[in-house]
Amino acid sequence: MPHLEVSDVRAKYGTLEVLKGISFSIKKGEIASLVGPSGSGKSTVLRALMGLTPITGGTVMIGNDRMNYSSAKEVRAARDRMAIVFQQYNLFQNMTVMKNLTLAPLKIKKWDSAEVMSEARRLLGLVGLSDRADAYPDQLSGGQQQRVALARALALKPQILLLDEVTSALDPELVNEVLDAIRKLANEGMTMIIVSHEMAFVREVADKVVFMDEGQIIEAGKPNDIFDNPQTDRARDFFSKILRH
Amino acid sequence: MNYGFQFGVVWDNIPELLEGAWLTLQLGCFAFAGGSLIGLIFAAIKTYGTWPLRFLVDCYVIFITNTPALIQIYFLYFGLPEVGIRWSNEACLLIGLTMNAGAYLTLILRAGFLSVRVTEIEASQTLGMSLIQQVRYIIVPHIAKSIYPALANFFIVVLVMGTSVGALIGVDELTGQAINLSTVNYRWLEYFTVVAGMYVVLTFIASIGLALLGRWAFRVKARIF
Ligand SMILES: Nc1ncnc2c1ncn2[C@@H]1O[C@H](COP(=O)(O)OP(=O)(O)OP(=O)(O)O)[C@@H](O)[C@H]1O
Ligand SMILES: [Mg+2]
Repeated sequence: MPHLEVSDVRAKYGTLEVLKGISFSIKKGEIASLVGPSGSGKSTVLRALMGLTPITGGTVMIGNDRMNYSSAKEVRAARDRMAIVFQQYNLFQNMTVMKNLTLAPLKIKKWDSAEVMSEARRLLGLVGLSDRADAYPDQLSGGQQQRVALARALALKPQILLLDEVTSALDPELVNEVLDAIRKLANEGMTMIIVSHEMAFVREVADKVVFMDEGQIIEAGKPNDIFDNPQTDRARDFFSKILRH
Repeated sequence: MNYGFQFGVVWDNIPELLEGAWLTLQLGCFAFAGGSLIGLIFAAIKTYGTWPLRFLVDCYVIFITNTPALIQIYFLYFGLPEVGIRWSNEACLLIGLTMNAGAYLTLILRAGFLSVRVTEIEASQTLGMSLIQQVRYIIVPHIAKSIYPALANFFIVVLVMGTSVGALIGVDELTGQAINLSTVNYRWLEYFTVVAGMYVVLTFIASIGLALLGRWAFRVKARIF
């Protein structure tokens, strides 16, 4: 049974239809990667799943539960199950690293404080930042901030993690530290959807690659099949450009 | 120029003047706190509210910021009794100052709302925060930090300029007290020299208090002067 099943999902900005019927599914513990040219709608897919961009058609299932984005309560149900990390790390600037991680679990979920703290410390260890718990975001490098953002997303124990170009705002020498953190999550069996331009990384960790263009899925399959043997002209064209460098 | 300064009489009245200064500080703090609450709620309405509510807030802000504070306070003190609403002079001053500060603070805080990073708001939404929780945990701390200097300056305006209007409706705050005392023995120059000094000290104390509060609560690197 798929862990996440997206069927014929549509979304608009104003009158512009940016998702024109998107369907794909992933199993528990799988990693799917969305790739495609700029403006093809990859971010919009993730934003729609999180209820940030309204869905105008189609269905989203997580396990046996249909996600309905029609009321604040139902949007929250989707946000209970999924977490997202953006390109621009989006940390709360007025709080320490530790506060960033624990705010939502403590104040919104009202989970047990001792457990939340020890889980937060575990996550900081996982992303290699145990010693920076008391730092403020503006005292951290971009790569460190992005790893905090990753830890913050995990602190709510999501079933599915959505990553939107989490390394593309980073200096090249900082990219690997973030990718390493994601590799560890992959090894822990986290279900993820990763939007990325790091094709080597996608080939390494993804179980499935979904190629999008102009709001539609053009091809989907195993990384090696899609990268080395694309079936459509558009995919061939895109990969020949992007894989060259 | 052979005016003989006599600070002796003023010295005898220092306790009265300190009482006035204490009342000034209280009035300033309460009006600013009440005004901040009004400003916060109204700036939130301006940002998230429906149009009829936004329109009402606009009316209030335009009305208050385009009329003198003195007129507003006279309206409360001399105008309202005509229709049977009678408040003490101190109450009129406090209510008038609070409403006046509320309008200006709506404008100041609105700028703060607009400067919140959309990305932080989206992050807080995806973490499951309701609008109220976003305001409490993300927006207010951000505003307090980013427009802290504007807020601190405005507090001084309320404290010094706002409260002294009270003298004109017989409130014994610092200016009122000075007028009362100097009409008794005509040492205007001495009283107002001392009172001016007291205002400076009051502002200085308030600035230090604000800077410490800012540093402690919002990590603001506030300078005192
Ligand atoms: N807030 C917005 N308002 C209007 N149009 C938008 C908005 N955000 C995105 N779009 C449009 O929606 C389409 C899909 O955008 P989206 O951000 O999903 O693309 P993407 O695949 O993530 O691109 P990139 O690789 O550049 O991040 C684009 O045509 C874009 O111009
Ligand atoms: Mg994008």
